[in-house]
Amino acid sequence: MWDQMLPGLRLKIFMTVLLGVIYPLAMTGISQLLFPKQANGSLIASGGKVTGSELIGQAFSKPEYFHPRPSSAGSGYDAAASGGSNLGPTSAKLVRGTTKMDDKKNEVVDFDGVSLRIVHYSLENGISYESSVPMAQFKNPDGSLDDVRLIKAFNAEKSPLVFTPKAPIPADAVTASASGLDPHISPDSAKAQVSRVASARGIQVEQVNRLLGQFTEGPDLGLLGESRVNVLRLNLALDHAFPVK
Amino acid sequence: MTLNGWLQIALFFGLILACTKPMGLFMTTVMEGRKNWLTRALSPLERFLYRICGIDSTVEQRWTQYAVSLLMFSLVSALLLYLMQRMQQMLPFNPQHFGAMTPDLSFNNAASFVTNTNWQAYTPEATMSYLVQMTGLTMHNFASAAAGLGIALALVRGFARQSADTIGNFWVDLIRATLYILLPLSIVGALFLCSQGVIQNLHPYTVATTLEGAKQTIGQGPVASQEAIKMIGTNGGGFFNANSAHPFENPTPLTNFVEMFFIFLIPAGLTYTFGKMIRDMRQGWALFAAMSVLFLAGVVTAYHFEQSGTPLLARNGIELAATDAQSGGNMEGKETRFGIANSALFATATTDASCGAVNAMHDSFTPLGGLVPLFNIELGEVVFGGVGAGLYGMLMFAILAVFIAGLMVGRTPEYLGKKIEQKEVKMAMLALLVLASSILLFSGTTSVIQFAKNSYWNAPGPAIASLTNSGPHGLSEILYAYTSATGNNGSAFAGLNANTPWFNITIGLAALVGRFLMIIPLLAVAGSLAKKRQVPVSAGTFPTHGPLFVSLLVGVVVIVGALTFFPALSLGPIVEHLLM
Repeated sequence: MWDQMLPGLRLKIFMTVLLGVIYPLAMTGISQLLFPKQANGSLIASGGKVTGSELIGQAFSKPEYFHPRPSSAGSGYDAAASGGSNLGPTSAKLVRGTTKMDDKKNEVVDFDGVSLRIVHYSLENGISYESSVPMAQFKNPDGSLDDVRLIKAFNAEKSPLVFTPKAPIPADAVTASASGLDPHISPDSAKAQVSRVASARGIQVEQVNRLLGQFTEGPDLGLLGESRVNVLRLNLALDHAFPVK
Repeated sequence: MTLNGWLQIALFFGLILACTKPMGLFMTTVMEGRKNWLTRALSPLERFLYRICGIDSTVEQRWTQYAVSLLMFSLVSALLLYLMQRMQQMLPFNPQHFGAMTPDLSFNNAASFVTNTNWQAYTPEATMSYLVQMTGLTMHNFASAAAGLGIALALVRGFARQSADTIGNFWVDLIRATLYILLPLSIVGALFLCSQGVIQNLHPYTVATTLEGAKQTIGQGPVASQEAIKMIGTNGGGFFNANSAHPFENPTPLTNFVEMFFIFLIPAGLTYTFGKMIRDMRQGWALFAAMSVLFLAGVVTAYHFEQSGTPLLARNGIELAATDAQSGGNMEGKETRFGIANSALFATATTDASCGAVNAMHDSFTPLGGLVPLFNIELGEVVFGGVGAGLYGMLMFAILAVFIAGLMVGRTPEYLGKKIEQKEVKMAMLALLVLASSILLFSGTTSVIQFAKNSYWNAPGPAIASLTNSGPHGLSEILYAYTSATGNNGSAFAGLNANTPWFNITIGLAALVGRFLMIIPLLAVAGSLAKKRQVPVSAGTFPTHGPLFVSLLVGVVVIVGALTFFPALSLGPIVEHLLM
C-alpha cells in the first residue's frame, strides 16, 4: 500500500511545479505582454496618481456625482474585502435596519437597511413620497436626516413609520451587490439622479442626459447581461466636461 | 422575466448541447491513450512524468490498487497543502506579508481543495499569499478534477469490459486528464478571461485615491490562471472572497457566459464519452436527457422566484418587474451587469455541477430561489455534475433505477448488459446513505450544540451564534454549509461565519466523507462489474435508452432526494417562504 506513496509524492511535486508555478507565471508573462492594461486591473490614472479601476466601484456621496449602489464590502467599497451582506430578503435587519451602541455609548447605525436607503434615495433625488410621519420630524438641526431615529421608527412595534415613494425605486439602487464592488448602476437608477447632479453642477439637465446616454452600455453582443452605467467613468467624464467650480 | 433572459438561458443550453459530442470524442481519444492533435506537443512531457515518477503506464490496476493510489495521492497533496499554509509567511510571493494560517483553517482548506470542494472559510484577499493561491490552490484545482475524471472513467470501464480484473491506471488517468484536457483548456480560458479584464499579475495591492479623495486599496494577484481552471475543473474556489461576483474575476456578462459554459463543458462531454466507451451512444444521450430535464426545471424555478422578489420589497416601493433599463427582482447580493437571469442561471449551473463558484450571494436569494441550489447539491450534483463526479453519481442512480424497475417486474436487473446484483446495489446504497448521513448529522449537531467558556472549538454559547440570519433562514445557512461540503460543492450561504475550529474541522470532515466514502464504494462497483460477463439483450431486458428510462431515472433522483431531505428543507426554506 505504501509503495504508492512515492509516485504520489513525486507526481505531486512535479504537478506543483508545472501547474502551480510554470502555468500561472507563463500566463502572467503572456498577459502582461498582450493585455497589460487588463492584467493589471484596468486602472485609471491621472497625473501619475491612480484614481481607481474602471472595473471596481468606489464610494460617492457628494451631490455633484452619480452615486453607486449600497455596498457591504468592508465599510463600503473596500476593494481588499469584497463581499455581500448575506442577509436573506425576508430578514428584518435587511429591510428595516438596526442600530447599536458605539464605544462612547452613543447610539449609531449598525446596518442601514432597505427602508432607510429608500428614504435617502427619494429625498436626495426629489422623488415624491407619502409618509405616515412628516420627514421634517427626522431632520437634524443642520438639515440632514437622523438615521438612528428613522431606523428606530421603522422598527417601532406600535405604528411603525411607513414611507412610500410615489415612483417605483429601481431594485439595484437600494440593495447591496454580491461583491460590494459593483461598478455599475442601472440606467433607471442613473436617470433618477440626473436632475440632482445637474443642479449641483449648475448645468442643464440635457447636458447631463447627453453624457449619460454616451455612458449607458447595452447588453454584451446585444444579448448577454443587463444594460448598465459605469459610475466612475461617468463621474470622471462629468468632472472633465463640467468641472465643479 | 424577460425574453432576453430566456434567450440567454436557451443559448447557454444550446451551446452545451452542441459541444457535448466534440468534447466527448476528444476526451475518449485522450483517455484511451490514442493519438490526437495534442499528442505531438505533449507526449514527451507525459512520458517524462511517467519516467520521473516511476509509473509504468502499460500496467493497469485492480479497483483496490486504483483506490489506494487515489488515497495516497490525496493524502500527500493534503499534507503538503497544509504545511504550505502554515508556513506561508516564510515563503516567497507574499507581497502583503500575510502570516501563517491557523491549524484548523489550514486543515479545512487542505481537505476542501483536495476533495474538489473549495469551501472557503476565509477572505482570500486578506489571508492568503499569491504562492499558496498558485501552488496550493491552482494546482489542486487541476489535480482534484483530473482525479474525478479518472474515477468516472474507471467506473465506465467496469461496464465496458468483461471478465477483466483491472479498471485502468490511476496515475495514467490523472496525468492524461491534466495534460491533454484541463491544461490546454485552462490556457485558452485564462488568456481569454484576461483579455476581457480578469487580472493576472504579481503586484502588491494598488492604493488608489478616489475622486472624492478617499483611499481605496485594490486587491491584485494571478487571478485569470486560477479563474480558468476553477470553472473548467468545477472547483469553484475564488481568488477573492466575492468569487465570480468580483469584477476582477468576472468583469462582464460575456466572461460570465464563458465561465458558466466552462462549468458544464467537461461534465456534459463525459456523457458522450460514456456512450462511446460502452459502444452505445443512446445510453449516453439518455443520461444527458435526464440531466437536462433536472437542469431546466432548476433554472426556471430559480429565475421565477428571484424575479418575483418578496412582498416586503414590493411593499417598500421597489420595482420588481424587469425592464430594459433596470433588472427588477431581488437584487440584494446580485451584480447589476448580471441581473436576475444570469444570477439564477449561474446559481443553478454551479450547484448542478459541483462547482460552487458564485456570481451572486445565495444567502440573499428568496427562500425558494435559494432552495434550488441547496436541493441541487442534495440530489448529489448529478445534473451534469462535477468533472467526473457528475457521471459516476448519475451512474449510481442509474443502478438504483434499474434495481427498482427490476423489483417491479421481479427480474434480476441489468444495466448496459451487466447483471446488477446484491453487491452493486449495496454499494450504491452505501454511497447514497453516507452523503445523507453526513449532511443531516452534522447539521443537526451544529443546530443544537453549545460550547463552554474557554472552549477550543468555538466561542462560548451555541454554535448558531455564527449565523447572520435567524429563524428558518438560519437553519438554511447551517444546512447549506454541510450540504455544500458533503457534496464537494463549496458554495455557501455565506452569512455563516465558519472560520472557527468547530466549523473548520466538521466541514473539512464532511468534505472528506462526501468525497472518499462515495468514491470507494463506486470503485468497488467498477471492480465487480468488470469481472462480469455481458449478458445478451433479451425480450425481458429493460431498455435503458428510451424516454421511459429517462423518466424513471429523473424520478429516482428527485424522490430519493426529496424523501431524504424534505423534513429538513420544510423547516428551512419552505417554512420561510410560507412566512414571508
